[in-house]
Amino acid sequence: MIKKLLYVLLTALVITSCKSGGDRSTQTDFEVPDSIMSEGMEISEETMQNIVQNISSPVEMAALIKELGVPYSSKYLSSTARVEELSTTFKQSLNLGIFGADLGYLNMYNKTSAVIDYISAIKTLADEIKVGQFFDFTTLKRLATNNQNLDSLMYISVHSFNQMDKYLHSNNRSNLSALIVTGVWIEGLYLGTQVAKETTNDMLAERIGEQKLTLNELILILEVYKKDKQYAKLIDDLQLIKDQYQNVNIKTIKGEPEMIEENGVLTIIQNDKSMVEISPEQINKIISTTEEVRNRLISL
Amino acid sequence: MKNIAVILLFFALSCPFSTRAQDISQLTAQCAANAGEVMYLKDFIVKLDAGTPGGAPPTARFALLLSKSVVYRLSICTAPNSEGEAVLQLFDMNTLLGSTFITATGKEFPFFDFKCQKTGVYHVFISFKEGKAGEGVGVLSYVKKL
Repeated sequence: MIKKLLYVLLTALVITSCKSGGDRSTQTDFEVPDSIMSEGMEISEETMQNIVQNISSPVEMAALIKELGVPYSSKYLSSTARVEELSTTFKQSLNLGIFGADLGYLNMYNKTSAVIDYISAIKTLADEIKVGQFFDFTTLKRLATNNQNLDSLMYISVHSFNQMDKYLHSNNRSNLSALIVTGVWIEGLYLGTQVAKETTNDMLAERIGEQKLTLNELILILEVYKKDKQYAKLIDDLQLIKDQYQNVNIKTIKGEPEMIEENGVLTIIQNDKSMVEISPEQINKIISTTEEVRNRLISL
Repeated sequence: MKNIAVILLFFALSCPFSTRAQDISQLTAQCAANAGEVMYLKDFIVKLDAGTPGGAPPTARFALLLSKSVVYRLSICTAPNSEGEAVLQLFDMNTLLGSTFITATGKEFPFFDFKCQKTGVYHVFISFKEGKAGEGVGVLSYVKKL
């Protein structure tokens, strides 16, 4: 009886092992929990969350590009074809952010047929890093396919990303959130700089220049995990972009805020003004370095 | 109509989660929808205990980066079971820029628009009137570029 039981258990063990081996392999070379941080870099979870909240949304750059009247172009987007090859949590998280920014761009232009590809890629990567529960693929796909309720599609996409980010923080996995945020940011900057390559616009130039602030915050977050070689390499890449921002100046003129109420809507007008000093040469260098770094990241 | 669709969709989507998570998801969707024809960016969920008599009301603080030349909308919604009414305030360093409750007049607003002229880090503070206990959601939305 015991012998039979042992055979059953052994067979089950073999089957389980074979099944695991047959699945798409996910190397766990990057399961670095938050407890493993660089020495001397003790940042509380609250501080980490505050820093990450600072990073702008994946749809803001896309919204600006659209409002500037720039037509849609699929050439700016990262291809989803390699999604199955992304085998480490590092690559999966980073590309999840990149695809998230692309999804924001597609949603902004109502390109619902392409949206499905990106939702699918995001769902695959999110499942791999165990946050797939925040993406209701069926509903998102239905909304995209019907080409209706585009507001809902946008809301659910952005909300799902926010939910996922909160979950990662509350589960001691801020390291992955940092990568996702980096992916979102680099792709947003790439979109903006690619448009700037073809269109001269002061507002866009200013928005690109302002990214100096966000980049400093991002590097600060990533440095917490620089003990890991992949993080260290990513910081080096971002440092290349930071170098191009060295002489970009952001100045502020002080002013008192005004409050007006019109038709029952309260509006606050800020009279502090920030101004970015950035030359065409500096923009060109930021464009080429961003292109180089982003293309390297998507081909990791 | 679109806003109703968002709310209904979220009722359906929230089913697998716990009751509290479901309630908060619904409140967030409702709050985003109440903000009008704008684009949802972020939400700030708070659950605060009552403050001590005579003390400062408990406050939740969130840091966020806002961009120049963008009109943002900041909305606040209070969960139905709350004792207090949620108030959202926007600060730039120590300067109060805007609030959904104007103390001087006693006037309340479900949201306010912020015409941002300076890219930088701002703070959203959410508390409950008179330091009462409560649960609520603040929502940041994108209105348009200036």
